[in-house]
Amino acid sequence: MPDIATSELLLIQSITKRFGAVRALTDVSLSLDAGQVHCIIGENGAGKSTLMKILSGVERPDSGNILYRGENVTLKSPADAQWLGIAMIHQELNLVDELSVAGNIFLGRERRRLGLVNNRWMNERAAELLKGLNCPIEPTRRVGDLSIAHKQMVEIAKAVSIDASVLIMDEPTAVLTRREVTALVQLIERLKAKGVAIVYISHILSEVLAVGDRVTVMRDGRSVETLSREKAQQIGEQGLASLMVGRPMGDHFPPRARPESRLALEVRNLSVPGKVRTATFAIQAGEVLGFAGLIGAGRTELAEAIVGLRRRDGGEIVVEGTVITAKNPRQAGKAGIAYLSEDRKGAGLTLGMGIAENVTMVSLKRYCHPLISRREEDAATRQHVDQLHIKIGGVRDPIETLSGGNQQKVALAKWLEIAPKVLIIDEPTRGVDVGAKEQIYALIRSLTAQGMACMLISSDLNEVIGLSNRIAVMRAGRIVATMDASGATEETIMYHAAGVVRQG
Amino acid sequence: MTQPQQPMLESMTDVPTPHRRWRFPSWSGALLALVILVIATAMKEPKFLQLSNILNILEQNAAVGMIAIGMTLIITLGGIDLSVGSLVALAGGLGILAMNRLFDKPAGDAAESIIPLFAAAGTTIGIGLLAGLFNGVLITKGRIAPFIATLAGLLIYRSTAMWIARGGQFFSDGSELFANLGNGFDIPGTNISRNPRRVVPMEFPYAILVWLTVAIVAIVILNRTRLGRYIIAIGNNERAARYSAVAVDRVKIIAYTLLGGITGIAALMNAANYTSVNSANTGILLELDAIAAVVIGGTRMEGGSGSIVGTILGVLLLGVIRNMMVMRGIDTYAQGVVTGGIIIAAVLLQRAGARRA
Repeated sequence: MPDIATSELLLIQSITKRFGAVRALTDVSLSLDAGQVHCIIGENGAGKSTLMKILSGVERPDSGNILYRGENVTLKSPADAQWLGIAMIHQELNLVDELSVAGNIFLGRERRRLGLVNNRWMNERAAELLKGLNCPIEPTRRVGDLSIAHKQMVEIAKAVSIDASVLIMDEPTAVLTRREVTALVQLIERLKAKGVAIVYISHILSEVLAVGDRVTVMRDGRSVETLSREKAQQIGEQGLASLMVGRPMGDHFPPRARPESRLALEVRNLSVPGKVRTATFAIQAGEVLGFAGLIGAGRTELAEAIVGLRRRDGGEIVVEGTVITAKNPRQAGKAGIAYLSEDRKGAGLTLGMGIAENVTMVSLKRYCHPLISRREEDAATRQHVDQLHIKIGGVRDPIETLSGGNQQKVALAKWLEIAPKVLIIDEPTRGVDVGAKEQIYALIRSLTAQGMACMLISSDLNEVIGLSNRIAVMRAGRIVATMDASGATEETIMYHAAGVVRQG
Repeated sequence: MTQPQQPMLESMTDVPTPHRRWRFPSWSGALLALVILVIATAMKEPKFLQLSNILNILEQNAAVGMIAIGMTLIITLGGIDLSVGSLVALAGGLGILAMNRLFDKPAGDAAESIIPLFAAAGTTIGIGLLAGLFNGVLITKGRIAPFIATLAGLLIYRSTAMWIARGGQFFSDGSELFANLGNGFDIPGTNISRNPRRVVPMEFPYAILVWLTVAIVAIVILNRTRLGRYIIAIGNNERAARYSAVAVDRVKIIAYTLLGGITGIAALMNAANYTSVNSANTGILLELDAIAAVVIGGTRMEGGSGSIVGTILGVLLLGVIRNMMVMRGIDTYAQGVVTGGIIIAAVLLQRAGARRA
């Protein structure tokens, strides 16, 4: 099939996509050839997921074209994409726990006989598919009982069973063991021989170099460069990492404050079952300790464990010399630790309520004598609105009327109400426009200048480097490196985060 | 029915709307329906608007009215309580038993001791509080869905009452103070006597006063206290509430206990009104009437916002319909059809309102 192997199957031409003020993709082009693996790499938030969502019909681009076998197509829904033969293996597993392995593989495409589901046919077919993956799972087993790795293999079998012409794999190996990775690589070879075009997204650069026929590097919503296999191997992992982060540091960060010598927070040997292993670190008063790492490295889980939102498995937490054992954010707050969730809409704010109600949610007791004084609530809210430059109409307006940046400031104000000794902020500027970003940076600076300690979790390396005094890098549940921020580069952080440089 | 979720339109909403559009309160539908129903009924039945009939309607619906108010708090919280009807029978019955223990029939004109009455009130309300506490603990610490936990309560409380009374009734031993609690105070200047030489004033039932008090307290709690604010917050987004340092379990337990206490008060007024409790019939299906009133009053079943005023209107709407059907001689068996129809209409109206908003 030489003609197939070289033909262009899918062409993406200058796609742009914006979510409100945030440009997720700018003028991205990409071509997928039959029988080729096209790897896409980039930092968290570089636009890979958005691009894949557009390819699989979940999102629609604002402008740009998608050409399938030379013809312009519009993908209005995942069904459209599937109809064209574009299948996606999702990073987060989309399986029904209660159904069997075969039931999941053929979900929505059940083979019927006399109007009834033909389980025998499906089980046989599923067994074949899984055997082809060198993964002998019984097709009748309940998916909920499988390990994550096996679930991922079922997800892969499901995508393969569609006989797709374009197969998108989003971090397929993140949860797989070595044996399964080998099987996956063999599968990729077989699919290539069949003329399938494969999009392969991974953070693991060695894998990218091993399977990729071409590598596209994305950064800040743009496709920065597309390299041939030879070129990619020539510049190597380090070269790819530099391309991923290669951006001059912004200088919109206010100068760092000098931390005080006393310790505000000490965490010793803290573990979260399956998520964090023996994390130990300390933050001085007035210091910002940045936490960098890939998604799933355990940073959020570590923060949630500190404030009692997750079960801790041993370990000690000390705030200004006092050992604390917070079972929930309320107790953590009393001990002086505030945690601002990364999930602003799901956990950070109560969207159905007003601005003032959100601002006083944590500190409400102060406004009760014993009835809530709405006047005092209004006054306190106005004070925060002025101080944090929050753009609002009225203080009782629904929080939903605010922009992302202003919502984030309200969430921050809620915790500043209790004047925490330690502020843990998780992705404080995600989905926040540039202006609000800088105001949030300035605010963190002025708070730390007053002696507050800050644990900053962020996937924006620029932000971590610019704002932190020191940086801790997490990988697979461990703190693998701690470095001074003034000497840190995005490259060194990425090496540690992706595990390119292994410690002794 | 869910609309495809809009991607975050951050900057487009950057300009805050200066004034919030004035919106009809969630209970306007119930109010409108009630007004129409009252006018229509009054035109056909002039007796309908007589003070005695109005007081009668209010008194008959006081018990369910109080419970519906407590239920509004629970539904706003995102919960439900199915056990309240059975609890009315159990708490009321045990209250009568406790009172009878202490009650000696006063000889001649000797004033009756108030202690038996206190025993009845204390037992009935105490049992209510305990049952509510039990529900709350089961739901929070036991992590049982509210529907299931209180369904078990519905069965257990009813069965216990029937077990103790052997399926029959709990009768008061004749305490007049207790019976008086089920009556009311005289309204000056009224006379319902046909005998021109005797003046018998109309009574204003205490139950209505109690209902009114419960309503005012609940309105204050829901709108002006920390408990109420947290009830709304938890109903809106329990996770966000927990992340915002709200003691979610404690708020839930207090709310269920509060509903239990209100149910106890309703049980007391109900038992006093009839001076007896029927272990098999008292309070039967009352939990559904209460929930229906809450829904008709415009409170969202999903929680997050609730209106006490709406619930009172819902109770009145159901009460007036019942009264009207009796007056017009409409088969009382058809009541369920009308009530069910109103519930469906109320929910459809609510949804239409929500979409416009």
